[in-house]
Amino acid sequence: MNGLETRRRPTRVILWGTLVAVLVLYGFPFVYLLLTSFKTPLDAIAVPPQVLPSQWTLDNYVAALSKEGVVPALINSGATAVLSTAFSLALGVPAAYAITRYRTPSGRIFVVAALVTRMVPTIAVGAPLVETMRRLGISDTTIGLAIAHTTISLPLSIWLMSSFFEAVPVELEEAAKVDGSDRLQAFRHVVLPVVSGGLAVTAIFAFLASWNEFLFALLLTSVRAQTTPIVIANFQTQFGLDWGGMTALSAVYSVPVILLTLALQRHIVAGLTLGAVKG
Amino acid sequence: MRLTDRRFALALIAPAALFLAAFVAWPLLRFVANAFYQISPMAGGPRKFVGFENFATAFGSPAFQGAALRTIVYTVVVVALEFTFGLAVALVFAALGSRSAVFRTVFMYPLMVAPVVAGLLWRFLLIDNFGILNELLRRGGLLHSTDQIGWLSNPKIALFSVAMPDIWLTTSFITLVLFAGLQNVPGDVIEAARIDGVRFPTLLFRIILPLLRPVIAVALIVRGIDAARAFDIILIQTSGGPQDSTTTLSLLIYRTMTRNGDPGLASAMGTVYLIGMLVVAAIAIFAIWRPGGDQA
Repeated sequence: MNGLETRRRPTRVILWGTLVAVLVLYGFPFVYLLLTSFKTPLDAIAVPPQVLPSQWTLDNYVAALSKEGVVPALINSGATAVLSTAFSLALGVPAAYAITRYRTPSGRIFVVAALVTRMVPTIAVGAPLVETMRRLGISDTTIGLAIAHTTISLPLSIWLMSSFFEAVPVELEEAAKVDGSDRLQAFRHVVLPVVSGGLAVTAIFAFLASWNEFLFALLLTSVRAQTTPIVIANFQTQFGLDWGGMTALSAVYSVPVILLTLALQRHIVAGLTLGAVKG
Repeated sequence: MRLTDRRFALALIAPAALFLAAFVAWPLLRFVANAFYQISPMAGGPRKFVGFENFATAFGSPAFQGAALRTIVYTVVVVALEFTFGLAVALVFAALGSRSAVFRTVFMYPLMVAPVVAGLLWRFLLIDNFGILNELLRRGGLLHSTDQIGWLSNPKIALFSVAMPDIWLTTSFITLVLFAGLQNVPGDVIEAARIDGVRFPTLLFRIILPLLRPVIAVALIVRGIDAARAFDIILIQTSGGPQDSTTTLSLLIYRTMTRNGDPGLASAMGTVYLIGMLVVAAIAIFAIWRPGGDQA
């Protein structure tokens, strides 16, 4: 119960009305994208435009998915995001744990550095990374792009995981240590299971950061490792202004992640707000 | 040798620290160093040390000045509008209580949409002749014809139009963060104010917003940084046009780096941009947030 909640009936009716109006307006752009993806190519660019398709068809989906490079790009996007999420968790989780449990000076410096990393313009890291990846022999590869994406998701993962570790009582580990576990065992067998929900949230954010990323993908990949955002962007030049195909591929790319995250929404809200609210 | 707590902590932090050093700090240092050289755009081409010449060129160029101004305008417009909308929606959610939970979930969906998709989608909604927005405005009697407003083709308003998908995409973030903050506002404080007959605007500006200060600071700083870095969402809508009216710094630097082939100048611009971001963020953190001052 919250002091802000209003109990006056007329006010509640007005507020519900406002809320529904806002949600309709807010939902319309994406609903319109979905509706357009089921139109015929001519319907999609009809003047004047119609909201509903005059004829429902899957042609745009078939055409978009059969275009050269589209399916490989979807696979690349998935592989890059999974790999980057793995890097991010493997590096970020131990670091976040050390920062919250042992408040050493190096940990504090590191938190500030990770925060500064967030302010760096992508191009300032991306342009020199092109050269780095070439030297490492991983230019235009999924692993190279995944490394670049990890530079975005790692600071975020550390930030999020620190909040989750913060909530674990120290007594839990003390008890484990009394029972004869060493620090690493206590971390692995006692602390990690407790924060499994937090791990899931962090994983989803790392995944989304990579899945939706554009500029690193543009700079660091050309053909082999190209991800879907680049392909979607190319719909306007490579294939003319193919709005039907663009909306279909956008739907294929967005709907699964939207559904996945909405299914896990309670955890996501916790993740989004935890760091901020703790201040 | 016995592992001290300190060494153990260091061992856990080291991999992440090394990673960020190798793939963020080192590239960034090279980027800043490049700002002092004249560099041939060809790989392995000649480099010549030119001191602060690139910086002088950058500051003296109208393109850079214009882009810097547009970046500021874009950031302020995006953050101000999404803060206003986000706060309004958060207050509605808070007033409706737990029964609004399902709607909060629905409201969150744009956060999962790729900026590229959002940019293209809005370009589609705003297109002059067959865009649905102008058509709906015409049907509503607000416009005579659908080409009356050229959202993305009129240089005077294009910068505001390209901001719309960014606002659409991330208002949810502000709402979620502020809503969570509102949950922590003690109910009895508001109850007491209500009993004293305090009106809602006073309650909002004198009690609620000051209590939310740290949360607001985090939301504004995070969003401000991201809006100032906006790239794909603008590129996909206008590529910086018409007549450069939507060329923000990130687009100008990208173009100078790749298309115009002057990596030295692009690095100088990027370095100024980075320093600007750090200074503004530092001021914002100390002015609004006051870390340590009010640990909740």
